[in-house]
Amino acid sequence: MKSSTIYQEWLDSLPPTEGYLKNEQSIGRKFLLEKGMPSKKDEAWRLSNFSKLNNFLSLPTIIDKEDIKSIFPAKDANRERIIIHPNKNPLNINLPNGIEHLNKREIEDNLGKIVKSTNIKNDISVCLNQASSLELLALKVKRNFNQSLEIVIPSIEGKSISTRILLLIEEGAKLDLLQILTGNNNSAQNHLIEIKLESKVELTHGLISLGEEKDSSSICTLAVEQSEKSKYSLHSIHHGWDYARYEPRIIQREGEASTIIKGLQVTKSKEQIATHSLIRFEGPNGKLDQLQKAVASEYSHCIFNGSIEVPQKAQKTEAAQLSRNLLLSKRARIDTKPELEIVADDVRCTHGATVSQLQDEELFYLLSRGIDNKHANSLLLKGYYDEVISHLPKSAGKWNFIEKLMQDIKK
Amino acid sequence: MTQSNTVDEIVSQPYKYGFITEIETEKIPKGLNENVIRLISAKKNEPDFLLKFRLRAYEQWLKMKEPDWSGLIYSKVDYQDLVYYAAPKQDIKKKSLDEVDPKLLETFEKLGIPLSEQKRLSNVAVDAVFDSVSIATTYKEKLAEHGVIFCSISEAISEYPDLIEKYMGTVVPINDNFFAALNSAVFSDGSFVYIPKGVECPMELSSYFRINSGDTGQFERTLIIAEESSSVSYLEGCTAPMFDTNTLHAAVVELIALDNASIKYSTVQNWYAGNEEGVGGIYNFVTKRGECRGKKSKISWSQVETGSAITWKYPSCVLQGDNSIGEFYSIALTNNCQKADTGTKMIHIGKNTKSKIVSKGISAGQSKNSYRGLVSISPNAEGSRNYSQCDSMLIGDKASANTYPYIQSKQPQANIEHEASTCRISEDQLFYLQSRGIDFEESVSMLVSGFCSDVFNELPMEFASEADKLLALKLEGSVG
Amino acid sequence: MISSTSETILSIEDLHASVEDQEILHGVNLVVKEGEIHAIMGRNGSGKSTLSKVIAGHPSYKVLSGSIQFKGIDILELEPEERARIGIFLGFQYPVEIPGVSNLEFLRVATNSRRKELLKSELDTFEFEDLVKERLKIVEMDPAFLERSVNEGFSGGEKKRNEILQMALLEPFISILDETDSGLDIDALRIVASGINRLSQPNSATILITHYQRLLNEITPDFVHIMADGKIIKTGNKELAIDLEKSGYDFIDKNSKEKEMAK
Repeated sequence: MKSSTIYQEWLDSLPPTEGYLKNEQSIGRKFLLEKGMPSKKDEAWRLSNFSKLNNFLSLPTIIDKEDIKSIFPAKDANRERIIIHPNKNPLNINLPNGIEHLNKREIEDNLGKIVKSTNIKNDISVCLNQASSLELLALKVKRNFNQSLEIVIPSIEGKSISTRILLLIEEGAKLDLLQILTGNNNSAQNHLIEIKLESKVELTHGLISLGEEKDSSSICTLAVEQSEKSKYSLHSIHHGWDYARYEPRIIQREGEASTIIKGLQVTKSKEQIATHSLIRFEGPNGKLDQLQKAVASEYSHCIFNGSIEVPQKAQKTEAAQLSRNLLLSKRARIDTKPELEIVADDVRCTHGATVSQLQDEELFYLLSRGIDNKHANSLLLKGYYDEVISHLPKSAGKWNFIEKLMQDIKK
Repeated sequence: MTQSNTVDEIVSQPYKYGFITEIETEKIPKGLNENVIRLISAKKNEPDFLLKFRLRAYEQWLKMKEPDWSGLIYSKVDYQDLVYYAAPKQDIKKKSLDEVDPKLLETFEKLGIPLSEQKRLSNVAVDAVFDSVSIATTYKEKLAEHGVIFCSISEAISEYPDLIEKYMGTVVPINDNFFAALNSAVFSDGSFVYIPKGVECPMELSSYFRINSGDTGQFERTLIIAEESSSVSYLEGCTAPMFDTNTLHAAVVELIALDNASIKYSTVQNWYAGNEEGVGGIYNFVTKRGECRGKKSKISWSQVETGSAITWKYPSCVLQGDNSIGEFYSIALTNNCQKADTGTKMIHIGKNTKSKIVSKGISAGQSKNSYRGLVSISPNAEGSRNYSQCDSMLIGDKASANTYPYIQSKQPQANIEHEASTCRISEDQLFYLQSRGIDFEESVSMLVSGFCSDVFNELPMEFASEADKLLALKLEGSVG
Repeated sequence: MISSTSETILSIEDLHASVEDQEILHGVNLVVKEGEIHAIMGRNGSGKSTLSKVIAGHPSYKVLSGSIQFKGIDILELEPEERARIGIFLGFQYPVEIPGVSNLEFLRVATNSRRKELLKSELDTFEFEDLVKERLKIVEMDPAFLERSVNEGFSGGEKKRNEILQMALLEPFISILDETDSGLDIDALRIVASGINRLSQPNSATILITHYQRLLNEITPDFVHIMADGKIIKTGNKELAIDLEKSGYDFIDKNSKEKEMAK
């Protein structure tokens, strides 16, 4: 079937706009109608596998309002868990002390603002979500509270789900957020997460995104606005998706903030995983430390596209970006494209990119100590992953992602 | 005075080559159509295959759109308002220098390129191109003794049509891009170099391009062929007078290196950059590409880009032959309202091919300096390696430096490494030099030159100091 | 070498200076005459290095009040390069690496700008090479260092020797050597110290900024000053340095505590 037909059918299949996201839904649908399907002419979609995107859009979006029967590992004692059920009003959940639902007014004041300020309101991924999200999880962490939270979003077999989250973290608060996205057979999920960090906020954000089953796909957009003296660290793993597109967009609104991003994406068979990141500094003395790692084996394709924008008002910015890629097979492919745009003169920006296979000398060293090839390779890969996964909270280990990451290589 | 203000001041200096030569010129009427192309071809007495080549290119060009992806903003060129052929009035090409209009010789002498036998540079053969035609080539006889052909492309078309037909358009196809298609349709002159098998070219070859007319587009075409086990080092220099209109320069350069051959191509580009407000200046939209067709062949591009209102070019290497090597060394200095979008493409096709990229961008004033590069490793390019280093230096808080290095790999047995940094002149280094009695202006100049030293080292000896001087000149100024 | 008719080279009066809006020097007074060797000692953060940077004219340091006179001239308005040319030399604690700039070229340009000030003829490449080869001996440096970039990839000892080489070429009237002994092994320390000794002239003076007594075993100071909290709190002869080595900086604390109490 033609892409445009699939696209049109997807739009037609959406329920009528309704509820408190009605306005958002119309904005998204209107844009998609006017803009049409992304094409190779859109620089941000040029390398995207469109037949996979078509699969994504071919899945039905209407979901019965029944509970999901997935089994998850037990929750941590000190970390409240929220499981997001599509189409189910997320107000009936237990919230830990210091975390509250946003009231109507707060939602009106903030929803869509961060997407706008990170300049992605015309982005196709965002509009796909706006057009189809029916419910919103809107929370705030109250001033000076220090909390942990786990948000689990499972996919549903044979269905396409769309979720939207708005998170407001008030001045001086600390949040340790662990977010788990899981796939299912022949499933699609689309997330839009807006987070606002007020001044002096510290947010540690672990994002574990595991496709797991057959033909699962995920599009996840993260729009983060940081106020001054806030600290944001984002550690992500993407693995097992047939098709995944991950778009973290972070803006340091007033400068004077620090951002740490460590991302790992691992592909095998015919999978395609793409990360499109954007970090913009809108004030002085901002800091960024970004590391993106990718491993592509078999017939798979890893993409990284990383923009850093340092306008004139962002003097004394210090930004470092490193893209490290392992290409493990002759049929696999890596594309990496850092984009640095700098106008301020008193800045220190560095970036680097490498594409290689595992280092021969390191491998030889291990072999020479009697370790067999397979084992040596997996040891080295584990070391390679460690730079990202060591930053995730220890308890995240129960999601078994390390085992999953290692499984690929044992084959 | 703050540091950046002072540095700003010293990077601004008047353009020294802005004079116009008063000479009677033969021009064809403005505008472009099939008849104009036939006219150019007829004026040059070209063989039929070349006329067909031009017409095919024109046909393609008509179907193409002017590209806009680079983010460069410039007032669009009115292609019907350009003169496509201008030549100083004299018979086609003079047999000896004595017959060349003395005004032309004087022009080149003023530019530091004396052509007369007494004054000409020793050990450098020069092809001097004035507007659309080559007016003289020195040391032709001496080169001929070694079997080296160095002449204008027009001469090559009439004298060596077989070589032209065999190679022209094989590296940059006529429909490669909008400007290459335009060039293929209307190119006027340029240089031709042929180095026979086993010959190491006994001297540096150099072309010097001079735009004199304000409304003339310059479309020169250079073709260099290095046969098996031969080697050559070639340098081009460019200047133009100051006009307050923008002049289009859309050249095509094709290099072909066969087995074990090596070509070193250096450019010192100092076209008129426009005034401080960005009025006037050359649009330098150039397609340069080399093919390492043979095993163990090598193509090395070095460029020092200081002029032009807009520079838009990516000298590239297609590494076809196994074990072939591509190199790109670049210094791009932009000031005032200049824009440069330059870089390279290294296309690794053969096994064990290697490439190295060293790019140094310096942006001052309100200029915009971008490095854009592609390193592509195809599935068969086993054992290939690339190393890239792109450093930017910003002078003043209105200049911008962008870096877009694109890496694409489909071969696990390949290593690609990219490093880049953006900084300004280090205050500590500046203070260290000053505390030894070296004045501010000279300290800045030393630091900029030190920043570029990796690239200077790659320029031919004869031109390294010239390029250094050119940078110093750009940095020279009026610090009280 | 000190005589009562000696001219004053450097005279610092009630100097207050700040960096990044924080006042570091709180009223320094110091007079240095021809032929003298002064040692300034004190803990990290006492203001020693700041004093040296202020004298050399580092742009990040601001003089709030007070004066610095060099041979009777107020130098506060002079650019760093002008101070260097009239004969003020700062030996850096951490000599700066400048990749891509040839050491030889750097030394030549610096030497010539000083010579111009002294109304001496500028040296061409060949004349300069002769001069620099002769001066290299003072610091026992390999001529290969001249071919490298300024301080790039030099070891700590090599950097310090390169500093003394610059001092030998510029022939300053006053040399302020900031922790020249730090990070040196015994041999390098001996070479550097003997270089400094050989370069001292009846019409020049030296200020050694140091942490430890060991450099002062090699170079005998005429005066030892102890700095604390941005001031010279005690001045004596070389015995003071020896006392200090024995009893440590504790007595400074005692002093300052007493002062606090007095307040």
